[in-house]
Amino acid sequence: MSARDYVSPFDERVRAAEPLAPRPAGVAGRHVVLLDIRKNRGAEFLDRLQTHLESAGAATSRSAKEIFSKPASPEVIDEVAGRADLVVEALAD
Amino acid sequence: MAPQPATVAGLASGGAALLLFVSEECPTSAHAMRSLGGLCGSWEQAGVGAAVVFEDPLEVAVRVARRLNWTGLVLSEDPPYQTSRAYQLVSVPTLVLVDSRGLVAGTVTGWDHSAVVDLIGQAAGLLGTKLAVPEPAEPLRKPGCSSKAAIDPSLAEAMLSSGGLDELEDMFERGWTDGLPVVPPTRERVDAMLGGRDGARSLGEVPPAMGEATLERVAACAVLAGCRPAYFPVVAAAAEAALDPAFNLHGQAVTTQPAGQLIVVNGPVRNAIGLNSGMGALGPGFRPNLTIGRALRLLVTLTGGGMPGALDRSTLGHPGKISFCVAENEEISPWEPLHVERGFQPGQSVVTVIGSDAPLSISDHRSRTPEDLGYVLAWAAASSWSTNWWPLAEPSVYVICPEHAEMFRAAGWSKRRLREFMFDAVRKPAGQLRRGETTPLVHGADLAAEVPKWQSPDSIVLTVAGGEAGRYSAVLGPCTGMGSQIVSREVA
Repeated sequence: MSARDYVSPFDERVRAAEPLAPRPAGVAGRHVVLLDIRKNRGAEFLDRLQTHLESAGAATSRSAKEIFSKPASPEVIDEVAGRADLVVEALAD
Repeated sequence: MAPQPATVAGLASGGAALLLFVSEECPTSAHAMRSLGGLCGSWEQAGVGAAVVFEDPLEVAVRVARRLNWTGLVLSEDPPYQTSRAYQLVSVPTLVLVDSRGLVAGTVTGWDHSAVVDLIGQAAGLLGTKLAVPEPAEPLRKPGCSSKAAIDPSLAEAMLSSGGLDELEDMFERGWTDGLPVVPPTRERVDAMLGGRDGARSLGEVPPAMGEATLERVAACAVLAGCRPAYFPVVAAAAEAALDPAFNLHGQAVTTQPAGQLIVVNGPVRNAIGLNSGMGALGPGFRPNLTIGRALRLLVTLTGGGMPGALDRSTLGHPGKISFCVAENEEISPWEPLHVERGFQPGQSVVTVIGSDAPLSISDHRSRTPEDLGYVLAWAAASSWSTNWWPLAEPSVYVICPEHAEMFRAAGWSKRRLREFMFDAVRKPAGQLRRGETTPLVHGADLAAEVPKWQSPDSIVLTVAGGEAGRYSAVLGPCTGMGSQIVSREVA
């Protein structure tokens, strides 16, 4: 029996890393979507952040995941991607 | 690649060769390999053959070389170590420079960084070129260990024996483990586990890293866990159930909560494969229970990438995250078994998965009425999840021991009656629950409003298991806030 004749439990596929989007120089004039993952008190954090972003000249709007413990649905992702220049997603607790 | 013999003439055919003699258990050898292993490629391009020569079996040599990132040729020699003796080795590591005629041009014994740099410089001189040298890393000098070629051959043979453990160490180094030794998933074992099933068939992607659960990988996990092939249909059904999106394995796999994936097995398969539903039903001692539960956890951990401390962020975890499989004692239960409650026929074999916290034991040897016993059992769950978190939306699982079940049977209590009694029994005024972590419902309620521990009687899951003597039942708190539902699958 060869020492290397094993069946791996791992999925060995190598996935290419998604490249990061270009970073803007500032937020003024940009549309920032604040994505609430629906975890306890996350909205409070986003409220404060929203105030700061607006005073820095950003246009803002809110969106939310269905539940914090699952990945956002494709519909939520598409909806946010369709109107946002920038996105802030808040963890909480 | 299959093992091939190597010759010094071949290695030195480009003008020179550097041979590093080592052994697995020698730390200085490991240091030398770490220091030189990444340079081999550039040496070979310059015409210097580079090889590490282990006084260990080839499978050990390959494993250790891989771990230490040795990029040159890997050679192995068996007792009586004729090659080492030919080079008059007394200790490892020894670095030997051989010229194009096969003659020894210089050696460094043990680890001595500056002497090694000089020897590489000597090799460069033979070729009239420059060669990369190792960075000076501590320790710059370190004595080696005795070469096996320099000690009594029979003693060397005894030292060589790994007691069969080397393959198990290999599993740890590959990361194919939950922290305990595993059964190596050889092709032969995995094929036996599959039993002719199509290994390429996919059961879906396993969160959180979304590795694909081909049946072959599920079988590899079952082998690693120590399952017999007869258990595999139960493992595959549990995997299918856990991958149902309604179970939300994704949330469970990465949460800071302790939650494990409880498997409840019902139907004829329990007795067919020897699952224990009697004494110690939640404990150790029974291979089917322990290995089936472990196989599912290995699938989540390895194929799914839910490795504790990495993507699995559980603050404490719990022992059920190693293995968590209970068979219901249908023969002794006064009630319809769980799978029948969930719509299956009594003769069907079914697995049911539930996101569950660790068991809390409930002793009651004194109750003489079903009301008293129901009250004691119900209030044991009052602190599950968190002391003042009322009501719970997700299921609490009760494992009722046979003596407790008998009291309800004798009194003619159905499951429905007990469940509703327990639901009604555990209530507190909202004002008493407004301390620390509590629910929006409690915050919004009148101080005197009675709040139940559960949102509905259906949040109380009743099963029966355990030894016929002893009055200890258990409650397993829920995995909370995940929207995780109970999922059942028939065993094919």
